[in-house]
Amino acid sequence: MRIYLWQWLVVSGIFGTVLFMVACGNNGSPTPGPVSACDLTDIPYNPQPYTIVKPAHFPEIFIPADNPMTVEGVQLGRRLFYDPILSGDSTQSCSSCHLPHGSFTDNKDVSVGIDGIAGRRSAMSLLNVAYVRNSATSDGLFWDGRSKSLEAQALKPVEDPIEMHNTWPNALAKIRESEDYKTRFRKAFGITACEDISQELAAKAIAQFERILISSGNSKFDQYLAGDNFALDDEELDGKLMFFDEGLSNGLQLPDAECFHCHGGLTLTGNQFFNNGIDSAGLLTDFKDLGRGEVTLNEWDNGKFRAPTLRNIAMSAPYMHDGRFVSLDEVLGHYIAGGKPRPNKDPFIHPLGFPMQQGTQTVYTGFTPYHKQALLKFLHALTDSTFVNNPDIQNPF
Amino acid sequence: MKQLGLILFSMLLITLSSCKDKTTETPVSDYTLTFKATYNGQPLEKYKYYDYSDYKVRFSRFNTYISDVILLKGTEEVKLSDVEWVDFTPDDATNNLALEVPLQFQATEGTYTGIKIGFGVRPDLNAKRPSDFPANHPLAKETEYWLGWKSYIFSKVEGQGDSNADGNDDIFLLYHCGSDAVYRSYTFNQPIVVAPGSGNSVEMDLKKLFTINNQWYDLRIPTNQYTSNNPADVTVATVLMDNLVNAVSVK
Ligand code: HEC
Ligand code: HEC
Repeated sequence: MRIYLWQWLVVSGIFGTVLFMVACGNNGSPTPGPVSACDLTDIPYNPQPYTIVKPAHFPEIFIPADNPMTVEGVQLGRRLFYDPILSGDSTQSCSSCHLPHGSFTDNKDVSVGIDGIAGRRSAMSLLNVAYVRNSATSDGLFWDGRSKSLEAQALKPVEDPIEMHNTWPNALAKIRESEDYKTRFRKAFGITACEDISQELAAKAIAQFERILISSGNSKFDQYLAGDNFALDDEELDGKLMFFDEGLSNGLQLPDAECFHCHGGLTLTGNQFFNNGIDSAGLLTDFKDLGRGEVTLNEWDNGKFRAPTLRNIAMSAPYMHDGRFVSLDEVLGHYIAGGKPRPNKDPFIHPLGFPMQQGTQTVYTGFTPYHKQALLKFLHALTDSTFVNNPDIQNPF
Repeated sequence: MKQLGLILFSMLLITLSSCKDKTTETPVSDYTLTFKATYNGQPLEKYKYYDYSDYKVRFSRFNTYISDVILLKGTEEVKLSDVEWVDFTPDDATNNLALEVPLQFQATEGTYTGIKIGFGVRPDLNAKRPSDFPANHPLAKETEYWLGWKSYIFSKVEGQGDSNADGNDDIFLLYHCGSDAVYRSYTFNQPIVVAPGSGNSVEMDLKKLFTINNQWYDLRIPTNQYTSNNPADVTVATVLMDNLVNAVSVK
């Protein structure tokens, strides 16, 4: 077939006009309606469901219906968690205060934000944080339980003046400049334009990442629970029996340590709020940090805090909401003595030992250094180094 | 011809009987059972000292599992619920008054002869573990399970007391009852009306719970202060779960 020049000109002319129109459309001038400065629809959106790996004996994890777990979401959340881009001066990320080797704490008594100002509380471990108040309805995050969900919580540190001290509009502007983040937000959430990158989506991605921070099941305690009767040695086993108030060890009565009543369940956090007697308070208004009372506004809740997980506790010193105890030995010293007097002390905080009647009073006797040692060894048997070394949760940068 | 008549007649019967079914079908109504915690008939107040024998006690936690709530009509049984968790002292309460816990059911309207309530977790369900249930199920609560008994903690009553009025609590009341051996189901024989907006209250009175054979349960005796630290020993749990029948009233 022969093509004449005029035919060629006509065809290429039409083609050129079409090309021109398309290009103009892209430039946005003639097309009506709202126009995006950056269109992301060319990037494929095909999210893959993410299945959280958890030990078989662990309970089901509650996933909110509006934030299903995806591979892309978790990967994005991991980057946001480790990226200082979210803080006011780009020096601090979530991971500045929640570091893997501290079981996602910073090993400081209280955390210090970007301006060098010390907060009033100690960073909390994020191990098994997906199980904190594992349901749709109840609140529970933070030492005082003031935050209802990981999604809601993740919004807070960014704007907290003594943490990352930024504004979300400012943080989002920086994120929207990054080609990598634009692509990742599109792949995780199917947004069509840069402007759709929002603080809510950032929080959702971070929450997805936090939900994978689950025990590996390799601690000695987990191996024991999974059926390996020899995973705990005799001392650790006695410690476990005391921790869970299970009493008899080879026919020998052990004193109750009462720990599991508050640090209960497989994740060893009951998700409840107690006063564990670390401060003496004559009046309910005497507590320096009102804790739960700030949330419920019931003064009988003053000085109550959430009993946090004891998993990996040997890695997350110092201890308590204000990091007052530097070692587990000090913590046990506190519990053995039975705590300080205050009106709303929890009845499980009493001197450890066997209760005996002395006159009309009940006294506790017979808690020996061996008992303390056994408890301490059990707390160390909760260490899960596989978790802190898990490559999937390390800094991706 | 005879056969045809028979067929027509039976068709008529069927039609009639189905009509009858439709017209007399009794309607179903909401029925609310409201659980209330009391001390000596008054709403229970957390942390408040109550006179007890010649000393003082106060309570800080009270919750219980309920299984197999069943309405009775002679020998007929209408099951309202499998298992529920009733928490009178939740962490998010804004004051110290025990919470009233309403449980909503649906039942055919009418007057029943009684109601049966299981206190604790029914044995077949108690054989399971929290990890067997979806996160929002009442039996998914890890804190309400004790590996020592391999059982749910059927009820928790916690508190303290001051034996000698010196202002210091020296009595720690730690009653956690559990294990199949102490599951109790009690029948309350009294007319129960199910009609639009109907309901009853179930009062659980702690003073009555600790009044055993008309005697104060002596809370100054250490072995009476806690359920036990030996999973095999359910003596105190048995005393309390047995006495629930006297401590609970349906009104
Ligand atoms: C300056 C240090 C600091 C930074 C930065 C920080 N946190 Fe925290 N985090 C804390 C402290 C302190 C607490 C406890 C605060 C309280 O209870 O009031 C906490 C508590 C939490 C909790 C509650 C855990 C629980 O068990 O209830 C979560 C979840 C959390 N942080 C996630 C994050 C995320 C996500 C980021 C980044 C967006 C972040 N944190 C940034 C210090 C920090
Ligand atoms: C009455 C409830 C209760 C009992 C019983 C109890 N704890 Fe605690 N525990 C708490 C609370 C509440 C906190 C947090 C208090 C705070 O920060 O002010 C806590 C904190 C801790 C911490 C510090 C955690 C951290 O991340 O800083 C350790 C360790 C600990 N408890 C161990 C134990 C051991 C071991 C036992 C048994 C001997 C025990 N607890 C018994 C309620 C309890």
